[in-house]
Amino acid sequence: MLQILIYGAVISSIYALLAVGFTLVFGVARILNLAHGAFYALGAYGVYTLTANVHLPLWLAAIVAVVLVGLLGVLIERVLVRPLRRSMLAVLLITLAVALMIEQVLLLAFGSEARNVPSLVDVTYHLLGVDISGQRLFALAGGIVVLAGLWSFLQFTRLGSAILAVSQDAEAAQYMGIPSDRMYSIVMGMSAGMAAAAGVLVAPFQSVIPSMGLLPLVKAFVIVVVGGLGSIAGSVVGALLLGFSETIIAFKISIEWSQIVSVAAVLVTLVLRPAGFFGKRAAF
Amino acid sequence: MTGDRIDWIGALGALALLVVIPLIFGSSYIIGVMTVALCYGMWAASWDFMSGLTGRENFGHSLFIGAGAYTAGFLDVNFGLSPWWSLMAAPLVAVLFGILMGFPTLRLRGPYFALAMLSGSAVMQNLTIIFSVYTGGQDGLNGLTPLLDSTLAQYYLTLGFLAASGVLLRLIANSPWGLILRAIRGDEATCQAAGINVNFYKIASLMISAAVAGLGGALYAHYQLQVGPDLFTVVLSINIIIMVYVGGIGSIYGPIGGALLLNVLTETLRGLSEYRLWVYTLVLVVILFFLPQGAIAPLWRRIRRVLP
Repeated sequence: MLQILIYGAVISSIYALLAVGFTLVFGVARILNLAHGAFYALGAYGVYTLTANVHLPLWLAAIVAVVLVGLLGVLIERVLVRPLRRSMLAVLLITLAVALMIEQVLLLAFGSEARNVPSLVDVTYHLLGVDISGQRLFALAGGIVVLAGLWSFLQFTRLGSAILAVSQDAEAAQYMGIPSDRMYSIVMGMSAGMAAAAGVLVAPFQSVIPSMGLLPLVKAFVIVVVGGLGSIAGSVVGALLLGFSETIIAFKISIEWSQIVSVAAVLVTLVLRPAGFFGKRAAF
Repeated sequence: MTGDRIDWIGALGALALLVVIPLIFGSSYIIGVMTVALCYGMWAASWDFMSGLTGRENFGHSLFIGAGAYTAGFLDVNFGLSPWWSLMAAPLVAVLFGILMGFPTLRLRGPYFALAMLSGSAVMQNLTIIFSVYTGGQDGLNGLTPLLDSTLAQYYLTLGFLAASGVLLRLIANSPWGLILRAIRGDEATCQAAGINVNFYKIASLMISAAVAGLGGALYAHYQLQVGPDLFTVVLSINIIIMVYVGGIGSIYGPIGGALLLNVLTETLRGLSEYRLWVYTLVLVVILFFLPQGAIAPLWRRIRRVLP
């Protein structure tokens, strides 16, 4: 029981990290970013290559990887996404192309075999009768810290307010002198950085392979739909729901059924309440 | 009316080319590649009929393809029925899935419909793996009977079905029916206000689209002699969307050309092995940036303008 609670919390925090970044880009810039999972994979590979090839200390490698992926996100928004913003399908396809390209680069550079990333915290704790590795607890803490940081950034800074203003009404914000285009870039960078952070945090206990981004992308999709596209609070709630229900089903029934829960959740949500639990904008 | 005649002549020319190709390059390898390409053509055309005309992007088209293919697989492997039965049953089952998915999801707009269809196909993919006792799990169902003995005959059969469904879809798209579908893409609320039963048209178009996709799935299954859960994947749906985009959305004949082109392209690039996907991605990026209307349908329109 306690095991379910702790594992569920760890998974939920990673899911939340992924889904909040995903929903932020949609809520502010109206971009459904299919490259989100690729950013996650890049984070994990970034920390791997920076420690194994560049020989940076692990903590520094983690930070550098997150920042670099964030900058890449800004670049992709500027160069590839912005010219195509008019059409939703074109944006979906261009982010898909980016995702394919990143996966191919990783495959050519590192091959298809799994890489090992050392743990930031290399101890196993014995917590309330459950053995749990320090890295998992660190991932839980890291997820909470980043999310709290994002929340206070959006609530208490001028830039954060500007981003929220654009998410409410981009045109009106533009009239108030907020450069919407620049906000889109910033948000894309932040979202990419958060996906990379999730990748960095799970790299030590996940197999780091070029195609590792696909499943997290699907999970982020699911959470965001259940929570409401564009709603940050909804994503956190959705992540908790999915994280715990998956863990419970994986422990009690089987891993296969835990996979189907997520997609079934999407279908049910879309049929009953398409805007999601917290989504403001109507979906139909 | 002369424009119409040029279209028919163009279509006949393309058909003649497809009839002649296997006679010139007689190798069974090329015939195989082309047969698969024809199946993709049916899938792309059916995607375009629903999504291209009504503007509801369907990211789970593989749901109908897989449904058709697995119907063929079940009837053949588990019940031992003649493969011709599956050609009739597969579209029906696919239409059933279309109704099942259509009623709850078609009122959704923009990304929501795309996501609903995507998750529908993902559910089916997972179900085939969970109920592996009946579906064969990851390995799928093997040992289907081919429709016809020679691969060449099978190729011509597939070509016949592609041509028939392509012409049918194009005729519907150009009829008042298709006009209503296009109007729904433009402004659904106005259509409703004008007394058009929008839901009926959307679900009917999804059913037609599903039927053709399911038929294509059955043909594919009886060519590959194997069906697997990869027929339900999102990757397949997205591949089809890319083909439609390359061909030119909303034209029916463009997507068929796009499907043939990209299938042949990926096969010829097989020698590049690891860099193959690069070329594919690059084609996509170039098309997105420089040819937002696609390549094949606009090209044909330009040729037609030059012709007398």
